[in-house]
Amino acid sequence: MNEKVNNGPDPKAVIERMYPASIEDVWELWTTEQGIESWWGPDGFSVKVHRLDLRPGGEMRYDMTAVDPAQIQFMKRAGMPLTTQANLTFTAIVPLKSIAYTHRADFIPGVEPYDVGNKVEFFAEGNYVRMILTLDPMHSDEWTQRAVMGMESQLGKLARVVGHRDPN
Amino acid sequence: MMHMSVPQTMADPTRLHIIELLRGGEQSVNDIVENVDIDQSGVSRHLRILQQAGFVRVRPEGQKRLYSLCPQPFRDLDSWLSQYRQLWEGRLDKFGQALSHQRNARTITAQKTKSRR
Repeated sequence: MNEKVNNGPDPKAVIERMYPASIEDVWELWTTEQGIESWWGPDGFSVKVHRLDLRPGGEMRYDMTAVDPAQIQFMKRAGMPLTTQANLTFTAIVPLKSIAYTHRADFIPGVEPYDVGNKVEFFAEGNYVRMILTLDPMHSDEWTQRAVMGMESQLGKLARVVGHRDPN
Repeated sequence: MMHMSVPQTMADPTRLHIIELLRGGEQSVNDIVENVDIDQSGVSRHLRILQQAGFVRVRPEGQKRLYSLCPQPFRDLDSWLSQYRQLWEGRLDKFGQALSHQRNARTITAQKTKSRR
């Protein structure tokens, strides 16, 4: 499995992976309830898909439930419910080629929720599928600032530089 | 009190330019005006937005008001982006596992079908 992180001047955040699989198998994991439930949940969470309307403007609604004991304990301590509802809206579907969607980014403390555009593309290469995920600022209203993503690699550095100078 | 979200605040090219300028250290409004394409009232307006969003702070020095960057919003954004990446790294590992399960399940089904023949 190889992975590339793009930190160049490209205005998007890109994550790329290769899987020994067919495009059809990869597509199935992205487009069926059972497929999505098998991998979508972050570590320590399970996912139950309630609605999967796979067309532009259609929604995917799902529940995420903490299942890992450490995660359950963390959620309880933080006073957060073990199950949270989430949804995303599909913006473009090209069968066996790409899926684009927006979702609300509402998990950043102190930052108001806003829509983030995402796109995943599939490319068959021999016995492998190259899967390219793009956090796409151009496809969501408030992420039109291409520069933010371009600055991604610099941000950590900037925070440290500024922090170093900060007398507090 | 945040009036704009971090990405909203950074969405404007002039504000981003101002942030870039302030990376070199604190500057007065005049210093900034000399380096951007808009007039002083425009610069002051953007500085006010940046200040309200917690990106910059200001201190008086004589007649001047000197602006400098605050680290927190950059830390927030940086940590948000690494959270996003972390989330997806985890998901993509699981995606790979799900693919192997799928493949194994198919192989077993195929073998069963074969042995039934």
